[in-house]
Amino acid sequence: MSDYTVVGQTVARVDAVEKVTGAAQYGADVHPPGMLYGKIVRSKQAHANILSIDTSEAEKLPGVKAIITQDDVPSGRRVFATDKILYLGEPLAAVAATDPDIAEEAAELIKIEYEVLPVVQDVMEAIKPSAPRLHGDGTKDGPNRREIATQIRRLTRDKENDHSDEISKLEAELENYPDEVYYNISAESHSDAGDIEKGFAECDVVVEDTYVIPRVHQTYMEPHVSVASADSSGKVTVWASTQGPFAIRSGIAGTLGIPLTQINVIGTTMGGGFGGRFGVIITHVPAVLLSQKSGRPVRVQMTREEEFTDGRPAPGCVIKLKTGATNDGRILARQALAFWDSGSVSGASIGSTIRVRGVYKIPNLKVDAYGVHTNKSGTAAYRAPGAPQAIFAGESQLDEIAERIGMDPVKFRLMNMREEGDPIPAGATEPKVGYKETLEAVADAAGWWDREAGENQGWGVAVGDWTNGCGPGGVYVAVHEDGSVRIFHGSMDITGTDTAISQIIAEILTVPYESVTIRRGDTDSAPYSTGSGGSVVTFTMGNTAKLAAEDAHQRILELASERLNMNVDNLELRDGEVHVVTADPPKSILLGELAAYSLSTTGGPIVGKGSFARQASTPALAAQIAKVEVDPDTGRTRVLKLVASQDVGFAINPMAVEGQIEGGTVQGYAWAMMEEMQYGEDGNINPGFVDYRVPTSADLPTVESVIVEVPAPNGPYGAKGVGEPPITPTLATMANAVKDAVGIRVTELPIKPEKVVQALQSNGH
Amino acid sequence: MRNFEFFEPTTLAEASRLFAQEHTQLLAGGTDLVIGMKALTEAPQSVISLQKIPGLAGVTTESDNSISVGAMTKVRAVELSADIQQHHTALAEGAAEIGSIQIRNLATIGGNIAHASPAADTVAGLLVADAQVDIASADGERTVSIDELFTGPGQTVLAPGEIITRFRLPSPASGSHYIKHKIREVMDLAFIGVAAAVNLNDGVITDARIGLAAVAPTPIRATEAENLLNGNQLTAELLAQAGEAAAAAASPISDLRCSAEHRSEMVNVLTRRTVQEAVNRA
Ligand SMILES: Cc1cc2nc3c(=O)[nH]c(=O)nc-3n(C[C@H](O)[C@H](O)[C@H](O)COP(=O)(O)OP(=O)(O)OC[C@H]3O[C@@H](n4cnc5c(N)ncnc54)[C@H](O)[C@@H]3O)c2cc1C
Repeated sequence: MSDYTVVGQTVARVDAVEKVTGAAQYGADVHPPGMLYGKIVRSKQAHANILSIDTSEAEKLPGVKAIITQDDVPSGRRVFATDKILYLGEPLAAVAATDPDIAEEAAELIKIEYEVLPVVQDVMEAIKPSAPRLHGDGTKDGPNRREIATQIRRLTRDKENDHSDEISKLEAELENYPDEVYYNISAESHSDAGDIEKGFAECDVVVEDTYVIPRVHQTYMEPHVSVASADSSGKVTVWASTQGPFAIRSGIAGTLGIPLTQINVIGTTMGGGFGGRFGVIITHVPAVLLSQKSGRPVRVQMTREEEFTDGRPAPGCVIKLKTGATNDGRILARQALAFWDSGSVSGASIGSTIRVRGVYKIPNLKVDAYGVHTNKSGTAAYRAPGAPQAIFAGESQLDEIAERIGMDPVKFRLMNMREEGDPIPAGATEPKVGYKETLEAVADAAGWWDREAGENQGWGVAVGDWTNGCGPGGVYVAVHEDGSVRIFHGSMDITGTDTAISQIIAEILTVPYESVTIRRGDTDSAPYSTGSGGSVVTFTMGNTAKLAAEDAHQRILELASERLNMNVDNLELRDGEVHVVTADPPKSILLGELAAYSLSTTGGPIVGKGSFARQASTPALAAQIAKVEVDPDTGRTRVLKLVASQDVGFAINPMAVEGQIEGGTVQGYAWAMMEEMQYGEDGNINPGFVDYRVPTSADLPTVESVIVEVPAPNGPYGAKGVGEPPITPTLATMANAVKDAVGIRVTELPIKPEKVVQALQSNGH
Repeated sequence: MRNFEFFEPTTLAEASRLFAQEHTQLLAGGTDLVIGMKALTEAPQSVISLQKIPGLAGVTTESDNSISVGAMTKVRAVELSADIQQHHTALAEGAAEIGSIQIRNLATIGGNIAHASPAADTVAGLLVADAQVDIASADGERTVSIDELFTGPGQTVLAPGEIITRFRLPSPASGSHYIKHKIREVMDLAFIGVAAAVNLNDGVITDARIGLAAVAPTPIRATEAENLLNGNQLTAELLAQAGEAAAAAASPISDLRCSAEHRSEMVNVLTRRTVQEAVNRA
């Protein structure tokens, strides 16, 4: 199809050999001489006032070299709890010792006196007036009260006219919503389009449900780890397992008041991230503080249990959703009220509630979302943050509507999907995206149109959308005298992004992929690059790499022009040689020869520079179909078929793209069927892989992936973000398939056997 | 993990003498012990390996089809033994349910039983095989029946210094079956486990045995249900009664995995399934 020789081809990853041989250096492999072992002292209460912290016994333990508390944080930014503990496992202090066992023993010797406070774990409890408050009152009005209160404020401001009658009427109306004063609110987000009341009034069918999605963990294989070394001059080096070394550098600088360039962050090979590896204070800041205090390098490494109690997982949420449509299948109105469990701090992805709109023409839409404080750790990004939750609600409910109006779920979706040129919020119009192509592709590949189902078998479909961002980046490329190419940059390899960058540069410089090598610098040496998350890396760094290669390309032609005494317009770089286009007999010069020649010119070596900031990407769509069989007596669900298609713009490395589609789909399946952080009275009660179940390869058939390519205008070769979209529809895909199989609508994830049995029993099974 | 002394005795007597001391643990495959030591739920001062003692591993079959399984036999070997597969299918199936192949290549059947988890996957199969447990110590040998071995979660009648040497399975069952209720296909612990074994005499059930795991503080036999089955031909009605009787024998707890009600219901469902399959196989 394409004329490309390297991009669009499946190539071996640049890091394949080091991963397979075990040579890759992860955070825990870093061991500078004299290194101490850090241990974080954690709260054994979920909500309490701290009366005292006594470190004196721990200090006396031989081998203990440093103990730090919040008093050691010069900026005063909260690293450790000071007066109030907000969740079980919250850091209170940290210890560095010559041996991990000593550090652990010392941590146990630190005495904390608490005044225990009532705990709240459930979002719907936390918003009630009776709930204990985490941070002041956090009082906010619900959507109806909010509207009335805004009107009252507007009328009150108008001093010229007397509105007292209207105002007292409105105040009386406020009384209609006594439950709409929410407490412990950390953030809110509201949006609407059209006229929601009118929209619902025109519908033939209206469905309303409450969806409950649990908190899940990113479960990257490598726990958080950092090694910090502060020298006597004040220079700090941090080996960090992170998705964003530059973000960690500025985070440490900001938290500890250290000048930016006094900090060097060296990103170590990452054992998975999925959005959860951007945190600054989880291990990096304590490691730096301990090193500063002890004068020795210190490693702080989380255990798996700590990952669960003090990681930053994806927020759970409760979404009350209402959708209305006409009997001929037009969705006219949708309204969501969502409560996101943001834990002890704000930061849950509440803005993603708007994803209930999906890729459909919904003229009337209203979304009200609240972040709610509970006695849990804070949350962070996880693969398309917030989208799987909102899309689970949205796509589950679409199937309910389709069923009620008797329409095929795929046809119903196709009919309502937006098309190029359709209006979207903020006055923009819909760009060209393969929404319908992607859904049609998955339906065809799965055999949807002539699907068959035996007893207790069923089919489910769902789509999920996501838009990747873009960020700044810098790439250098150099051509050596042997014709090989070396790339230098500072972004962390995630999902094979270094491979894609190498492919792009090989393509433009027309050299074999094997002659390109890539080096990552630390924050001291490499140009700035955005964090490796949000599906931005291939888009951003791919564009940056393209600019760098084009810059080098230009210099190559200039050199050839000089060397061959030919006009640049008459030259062409092809197969690693510069050819004279019109020469007869053919005339050319090898890239290596030009690189050697360049050393003795006034221009100098062949170096290309790419520097790039931001460009809008277009949305991506993932569409999935599952066929399942449910055992109605045990409630166990087996997946018989799982097909996933995705509009990826352009697949720079098809195998890597398929890997992303498979991985995202499996994570979505896991969230639907088994993953769930469970909370008891005080905190997480399944902090390990025995009872936090991540699926294995035995749980699923091979995910069949279908690549759809509708080029993104600004992407390198039309590529767009690939990593996040595939997790977004799977939760609903599974729930819809279970519904089709045995007639029960599970609105509360995960779809565990016990829930299925219960639901079937209340259906009369 | 705390520091400990490590012993590798070559005789049972020596091992027993060492193991009679306080703060000691036996090391078989280590798949329970080492995890406990890392989590500090176990902090033995000495660890005594059974690996250098000859004669503790292996499956042997006598001419009357009675089978003896050494305590140090790997779970994987139990799973793959043709004789166990034929005469004690439920035990082979239980062994195959443990963790992963990597784990089963390390784990021993003796460790699975001595650890005394109510959810151990070989225990229901041993219960329905009426296994006799041979125990050795410096004072000599004794034998207890498998259903008398356990006294509570993690607790057995084993006295200090006593080591399980083998499991004897006296009488083969012509049909048996084990089902583990779980969420994840592999690498999951049993929400509950049910094994059933029968012999058939002209279509009439004899020697019905039903073993239940993870439904009570110790693994148990569902004797009421067994009595209902013995002497009768299997009918849908009888199967339903047996299921209910087995569920009534269970006294499960609610925990983070599932509720007590769900466990009881699953005992009912899986008893019906295992008994039916055992009869089909007989
Ligand atoms: C990843 C993983 C998955 C697992 N999955 C399962 C599963 O699905 N189902 C399941 O049932 N188990 C499972 N287990 C638990 C474990 O593998 C089994 O219980 C195993 O059979 C234990 O045997 P071992 O030889 O490793 O015992 P060890 O760890 O060596 O010993 C366990 C205990 O038994 C004692 N002991 C050992 N041998 C004897 C003996 N001969 N006499 C007296 N005492 C003795 C030891 O002192 C120790 O206290 C799993 C473990 C892991 C790590």
